[in-house]
Amino acid sequence: MSGEPSYSTMESYWFGDVEGHACEPAPGDPGLLAERIELLAGSGDTRIPDWRIAVRCGAVRDRAEYLERLRDAAFILAERNLGQILQADHSGLIQMVRMLDQLDEVINLLTERAVEWHRATRPGFSRKRTIPTGRSLIALIRQDADDALAGLLEEIERLRDRRSLLMEQVSRRAEEVLPNCSALAGGLVAARLAAEAGGIRELAVMPAPSLQVLGAKTALFSHLTTGTPPPKHGIIYQHGRVHGARRENRGRVARTLSAKLAIAARIDYYRKSADGEFLLNAAEAVRKAGRKE
Amino acid sequence: MIWIDGHLVSKGPGGVYGERMLRGCRVWAPKRSKLAALYHLGTELDLGPDHRVLYLGAANGTTVSHVADYVEVVYAVEVAPRPMQDLLVVGGSRKNIIPILADAGRPEVYRPLVEEVDLLYQDVASPRQVSILFANSCFLKDGGTAVLMLKPRSIDVTRPPEDVFREAQAEIEDGGFRILDRVRLSPYYPDHIAFLCRKD
Repeated sequence: MSGEPSYSTMESYWFGDVEGHACEPAPGDPGLLAERIELLAGSGDTRIPDWRIAVRCGAVRDRAEYLERLRDAAFILAERNLGQILQADHSGLIQMVRMLDQLDEVINLLTERAVEWHRATRPGFSRKRTIPTGRSLIALIRQDADDALAGLLEEIERLRDRRSLLMEQVSRRAEEVLPNCSALAGGLVAARLAAEAGGIRELAVMPAPSLQVLGAKTALFSHLTTGTPPPKHGIIYQHGRVHGARRENRGRVARTLSAKLAIAARIDYYRKSADGEFLLNAAEAVRKAGRKE
Repeated sequence: MIWIDGHLVSKGPGGVYGERMLRGCRVWAPKRSKLAALYHLGTELDLGPDHRVLYLGAANGTTVSHVADYVEVVYAVEVAPRPMQDLLVVGGSRKNIIPILADAGRPEVYRPLVEEVDLLYQDVASPRQVSILFANSCFLKDGGTAVLMLKPRSIDVTRPPEDVFREAQAEIEDGGFRILDRVRLSPYYPDHIAFLCRKD
């Protein structure tokens, strides 16, 4: 495209509408310009803009103003689209779950190290004899730990408290964003499923059997490559009805629960509110699946 | 291009990503940017103060910020939200970066904003790199230059890079581009190659 552009029909640009020699400049507000650009992009048939037309049109004085106006509008457009993407993702929830898992890892590592340290200074201390784990293990060591270790143990304890707090927060947030999944499987399991799937949209478009083995990656791939028995459940094992079911029923409960969760995830993503009737029926179906002989 | 004691630099407000400063100029390190690597290895490609650039795959804006120091305006297209957050910060302190959150494979989305450019620069990690070049060639002025940073690993990891290069070159030439130069980016970026082409 070079030389004089032709003015045969109406041409819409981000800075205005051109028809023949007449031209209507678009409103100059950057927010409105951003909307206009989005509309133009959606219409499909647009021409590549030329700043000289914008000047002739009276929309801008010169090239500098052309670029300045375009830049401001593009910034608003990019920020707006970015906000939409980040919100649709609910990446907040997913980051929370990842932080929770990472906290678990860190706490375990630190506790393990503290025990090693304690053992090195107390020859009489044996983990075999003193079985407790987690909080009580730390409490036990703390009784006669030296100052340096005691201070660290205190920090580990604090980290544990933080972890419990975060767990509640994850649960509460999941109940807001995934009301149906949370009602069916509990907030934590729902949040974990979304995190493993990579997002709420991703969870909503997932077939039930995929959802059933979500979080059982190792078992699934070992099944696919070497033909070991397929996994019955992944994250949903954490649900009481699954791990509480008798062994021979567990597969069926997991299958039923994941089928209902797949529907719940779709309601959560598209309708964004709890569906009482669906939840009653779904919970009943899961209960039945666990009772069968 | 500006060189100080063998270092490629650009003139602009510093502190964009922790780059080193040299006599008030921002050092444009070949290890941080494929375009800088290309200049270090030798190329005829020039960036002038009146150039307009369409930059596909802007990422965090590291290279974009240096290009913006040299040229009139950079239209910076990036599809991933996380890098775009950084790019907006980089663009916030510069008047000549126009950020576009879009997929370079769908140029119709940003067609209303982008004018005709002198340089079409592409550094996206996509198996469709060559067709993305074609899809965006409508923005390239007659006689303008296109730079394609080809990553054979994102086109097909299972095949030897040499085969991928050869095939891409044939594809580019069939699509109506003349290849002016091809530069291997090793040792800075092993297995990467830069194609300089012109639309005929």
